[in-house]
Amino acid sequence: MKDSRAVGVVANPASARDIRRLVADGSAVTAHQKLNLLRRLMAGLGRTGVDEVIVMGDRSGIATGLLDGAGRPSGAAWPRIEIVEEELTGTAADTINATRRMVARAVGAIVVLGGDGTHRLVATECGDTPIVAISTGTNNAFPTPLEPTVAGMAAGLVATGRLDLDRVAKRTKTLEVSCPAQQRTERALVDVAILNTDRVGSGAVWEPGTVEELFLCFAQPDGIGLSAIGGHLQPVDRYEPIGLAIRMAPNSAATDLTEPTQVVAAPIGPGLIADIEVALWSKLAVDQSITASTASGTVAVDGERMFRFESELTVTLRADGPRLVDVAEAMDLAARTGLLTEPD
Amino acid sequence: MTELNQLDLYSMMVRIRQFEARVLNEYHADKSPAWDIGAGLIPGEMHLSAGQEPAAVGVCAHLKKGDAITAPHRPHHFALAHGVDMNAMMAEIYGRTTGLCKGKGGHMHLFDPENHFSCSGIIAQGYPVACGHALAFKRKGTDNVAVAVAGEGAANQGAFHESLNLAALWNLPVVFVIEDNDWAISVPRSASTANTSNADRAAGYGMPGVRVENNDVEAVFEAAGAAVDRARAGEGPSLLEIHTVRLWGHFEGDAQAYRGAELETLDERDPIPAYAAAIGLSDDQVADIQAEADAEVDAAVQFALDSPVPTADDALLHVFA
Repeated sequence: MKDSRAVGVVANPASARDIRRLVADGSAVTAHQKLNLLRRLMAGLGRTGVDEVIVMGDRSGIATGLLDGAGRPSGAAWPRIEIVEEELTGTAADTINATRRMVARAVGAIVVLGGDGTHRLVATECGDTPIVAISTGTNNAFPTPLEPTVAGMAAGLVATGRLDLDRVAKRTKTLEVSCPAQQRTERALVDVAILNTDRVGSGAVWEPGTVEELFLCFAQPDGIGLSAIGGHLQPVDRYEPIGLAIRMAPNSAATDLTEPTQVVAAPIGPGLIADIEVALWSKLAVDQSITASTASGTVAVDGERMFRFESELTVTLRADGPRLVDVAEAMDLAARTGLLTEPD
Repeated sequence: MTELNQLDLYSMMVRIRQFEARVLNEYHADKSPAWDIGAGLIPGEMHLSAGQEPAAVGVCAHLKKGDAITAPHRPHHFALAHGVDMNAMMAEIYGRTTGLCKGKGGHMHLFDPENHFSCSGIIAQGYPVACGHALAFKRKGTDNVAVAVAGEGAANQGAFHESLNLAALWNLPVVFVIEDNDWAISVPRSASTANTSNADRAAGYGMPGVRVENNDVEAVFEAAGAAVDRARAGEGPSLLEIHTVRLWGHFEGDAQAYRGAELETLDERDPIPAYAAAIGLSDDQVADIQAEADAEVDAAVQFALDSPVPTADDALLHVFA
């Protein structure tokens, strides 16, 4: 049975710690700052009628730091806080396990604080549960910087069933990248990049010269990261049923796509704007599969190098991403329908 | 940045592991009674680095002659990866006059001025020393780099914070390396540390801080390369926290009851077989690399055993520098 007054919260303690603090000017979001963000979130959730919050546990004191809410501003209205009882591993498994618990408890929404990687993990498990995506990572396209007080209000209004989900929490897309010979399949929320390196190394993709091919779920001209490259070729929003496939120059040998070579000034990382030479690009339709033209290399998913491949790769756009709460749209609808105002 | 050579990285990790495995064996071979750490041919405490090879090898691959390392009580992996002579190291561990410190230092006090390598059993002692090296490099106008290595427990010492502050203030070419092996002797971080991320602490000093997960030598190599390049280019200090694993005890003889069920999973977390598989080495290649390392280690042990034991008269020599 659905408990519409509960909300799940996943805050990744490990986000914003990777090599992009060295090779670019990536933000440092400290554990104490993450706790601070969660406190603000609690005020928004509590004020909009959420009575229970299920929070992922962590080893950095973020979740346990919430338990002393009584003295905080609006602390009296905070929901009851329960920390997921699961043995912590300090790895991605914590996020997956916690999300499963939240879905099993039928929370009305899950608020995620982290980067693209954290959101991707939550998306693998959250099913139809709407998510509110707050960026605390390095180089994020899927989550955006949001004021958690307000994001919490939007999440609360969604979770308590007072907003039309088809309007404020529409379904996003994913990219499925599959290497059948290696029995390996991954899902991306933002992008799949095929790299000409055979190293997984530190994970993060930060050398644009290594990218041979790029597949995008969406491409926003005001975004950051690899998806920004596509944003300046063909803007694609998060919900429309197309994606993009891009082949970089001068690596391309194929001629099946028709656009001429062009150079895009793309903000591919924090403080890092690169001139990216694009050979070819085309739109991708939902359920359309493309076979990568690169024979071997490394696959990166949402900006993280994941695995080496040496045989055929296919990439497919799917219309099965998580329902993403558009906080601006949600608050606009709340205002227009008077959800947070009372008559005199 | 230095080019990555997978075979070199692997071979250096094996060289270190075979060294440590041999020291482990020799250390226990004649301890009688077993609890008497003063007994036997290798007297004193012994802190071995098995499992932590990726940190040393990934970092030191970027260092050149003249760069400095200050290491803690668990120093062998960084010493070997930085080019300290294996014979002189082994002789020092055995307490022989041909050792790095003529047998007076033992395994926690390996001083090699030629390679700018030093270590100490005093926790966090190496941080300010590394800042001193770096200040000298800066004043001399060289592009050398100082690397300060210690465990996550050491980052709660005052010297750590004082050093981060000075290095940031003076824009010194230092890379602070924290080997997080989850255990400060027997204390987990959650029982000792209010701010559990040293990357966060670096941010407090306006310094980039990075955490490298998975004990993966190539991940360490990339992050360390970026940090060393920054330092050489005059862009100042960085902090690398490397999540690694201590496969053996804090010291030899440590029963490790405090680690509980984790002990059963340690073999799976050994980074050396994992890397051999990742880069596709054959069993024959692995055996050859091990045999080459073993031959070098055998020679070092023989060198130590053939070297003189200090006499009572030697006790009065080299006491003052």
